[in-house]
Amino acid sequence: MELLSRMATTRITTALPPNIDITKAELAYGEHMLPKLNRQLQDDTLITRQRALNALCDVLHNPEHVSAALKVGMAKSLKKLLGDSDGTVRWKATEVLFICSNHAIGRDAILEFDLIQPISALFDDQHEDARLMSHRAVESVSHTVNGAQGIVDANLIKKLVEKLKTETDEIKQLVLDTLHYCMKVDTSQALAAEAMEVFTLLLGHKMWEIRGKAARDIMDISFPLEGKKKAVKVRCIPVLVKLLADPNFHVRAQSAGALMSIAITTEGKQESIREGAVEALIALLQADETTDVRLNVIKVNSLSNVRLLTVKAITMLAEAPSGREKLAQVVPTLQSIANTGGPMMKKVATTAIKVITWKP
Amino acid sequence: MYLGMAATAAKMPDQGGTYTFQSKPHEGPPAMKFRDPYQTTNGPALYGNIMYDRRIVRGNTYAQHVLPATVQPDPIEVQRQAEARRRILARKRATDQLRPRSAEPVEGRKHIDVQTELYLEEIKDRVEEADVECQTDAFLDRPPTPLFVPAKTGVDNTTQILDGELFDFDIEVKPILEVLVGKTIEQALMEVMEEEELANLRAQQRQFEELRHAELVETQRLEEQERRHCEEKQRRMAQQREVLAIEAETARKIAARAFAQNYLSDLVPSVFGALSENGYFYDPVAKDVEGNFVPWLLSRVKENMGHVLLSRVMVDELIRAVCDKRHDQAKKMKQETRARSRGDTEAAGPAPAAAAPIQLADSAVSVPPPPSSASPVDPLGPSIPNIETTPATDNTSADIPSIVESSDIPQ
Repeated sequence: MELLSRMATTRITTALPPNIDITKAELAYGEHMLPKLNRQLQDDTLITRQRALNALCDVLHNPEHVSAALKVGMAKSLKKLLGDSDGTVRWKATEVLFICSNHAIGRDAILEFDLIQPISALFDDQHEDARLMSHRAVESVSHTVNGAQGIVDANLIKKLVEKLKTETDEIKQLVLDTLHYCMKVDTSQALAAEAMEVFTLLLGHKMWEIRGKAARDIMDISFPLEGKKKAVKVRCIPVLVKLLADPNFHVRAQSAGALMSIAITTEGKQESIREGAVEALIALLQADETTDVRLNVIKVNSLSNVRLLTVKAITMLAEAPSGREKLAQVVPTLQSIANTGGPMMKKVATTAIKVITWKP
Repeated sequence: MYLGMAATAAKMPDQGGTYTFQSKPHEGPPAMKFRDPYQTTNGPALYGNIMYDRRIVRGNTYAQHVLPATVQPDPIEVQRQAEARRRILARKRATDQLRPRSAEPVEGRKHIDVQTELYLEEIKDRVEEADVECQTDAFLDRPPTPLFVPAKTGVDNTTQILDGELFDFDIEVKPILEVLVGKTIEQALMEVMEEEELANLRAQQRQFEELRHAELVETQRLEEQERRHCEEKQRRMAQQREVLAIEAETARKIAARAFAQNYLSDLVPSVFGALSENGYFYDPVAKDVEGNFVPWLLSRVKENMGHVLLSRVMVDELIRAVCDKRHDQAKKMKQETRARSRGDTEAAGPAPAAAAPIQLADSAVSVPPPPSSASPVDPLGPSIPNIETTPATDNTSADIPSIVESSDIPQ
């Protein structure tokens, strides 16, 4: 021993290397990483749980690790952590679930372990990040039909609509997205929760994203007949017609879409024509042609969407006789669209021309 | 089947050697047209489990039945083997008997084992054991293994190392930094790629959704159109039906009007005829005269006539009474005259004639004729009370002729 201490060794110290990032747990090597993290998640010490969650948030960006984590039984421990007393733990747990929910296997696991209810309990959390992450997680779960069905079954629609009135703008966008996906599955709950009134209010929001998403949600909610009736009753058509002249093309596209789905019924058509939707749409159609080149460069898809939905909306309005008279002047424009546009545009435009030029 | 049948002709050799089989060629039994459901034919089972069929060779055929050189085993060999067995058995029995044994125990006792060795030894069932305890130290962390240092050989030398010669931080830190940066970049790249992928997915989804919406709306539009057309058609049909219904109703009304006119033209005169026949139309004055005045008048007339009749009857009676008296007087006078004529005709003649009228006046007042004395000549005797007692309300038409009659008769 004496000899050893006097001799020079390559080891500088016998102490373990210092923890470089104290906010993150040390990762075990290879396949031991996730089981160890799972054990740490169930630890009684707060700091251990927090560090494990922090590390997980980085690790799970790798899709391979997501499936491995679920196999280890991470979902169960996360479910427990959702009800943790510490705000950071709740926040990070929802973040981990959000990362998982971007993958199909993660969404399935969330549905399988009935995690929607515990996540939605965090909608009322006082920790803002936890709220944001829980909304994100729910939003990405709602992408699939199963997930949307699960959210509808959990009776979350009413709660989400309530949140639209009180939450911050970022969360509002997420909620609007979630509702958009959920209303593909079932609109009756949303209609019962008076979502139409809330969406109409949001049409006047200062952020264009929210305006566009609200218009899109109005389009979704008014696909069934009750929605159309409700839309006419709530008088959202004048607001939508005003939005047809919005500076943002997303908003224009979505409001044209909303008008398109409302104007299917007769009273919807009459109301739209009374509010001057035809003139606005004609202006939109022609204005978009002049700025075609510029917008084309920016985003082809969105532009074509504007025109697609516009043309569709025109088709709807052209069914009413008074609309037909006014729209007779845009036939050449539509003809040119039919000649130049893609296959979908061509189809839509020819339908529109057929409807406009229809004579009894 | 034929195999089984043939087995009847098989011949089992007595000695347990290989199985042999021989049979003369023969015809098989005639095939039955149908299967016998009751198995009436008594015969051997037509088939069996081939696992137990001796004719089937199982297992490795090489290892089976080493064929003896001769078919029949050598009797001498067999005998010799039996001899050897018997001998071994006898030897065993002999050695058993030759073993030294202790004498048989006396009656009522029995043998037990006794140690005869020099040193006594306790015989126990249990093996002796002793408890010994030992507590290991608690596990300690294993100290880091000291680096193996080979024994020093050779001669020590010294050399001067200047600052920076042995450890250059920039050089030493480079690989560590590379790892750190690499790891970070890797993580960041992964996240960016993930986000990009998600964004792409969403864009794709949105595009698909737009198309879906367009199609959905187109479907709904067509549905709505169809519904409107249907409604229009229904409305047209309803209108047409209504027009037809109105036309039919009008025709019915016209027909009814014509019929009613036709019917009523005869009805009014006949109704008035029937009503006037039944006396629904009358003059109130005439009816009053007829119903009230005339009966009253008649009753009063009858009363008056009754009075008249009564007075007449009374006058008649008076006249009669007078006449009777006169007649009697006349008779008497006649007789007197006759008698006078016989004797005295002049003195008696006028005196009875003067006395008669005075008597007549007296008798008319004082002597009313008794009803019983009513002569059969007088028909009015019983009718008088009748007339007087009849009430005024009696039928006028019945009374009038009776009055007339009764008034006629005495005259």
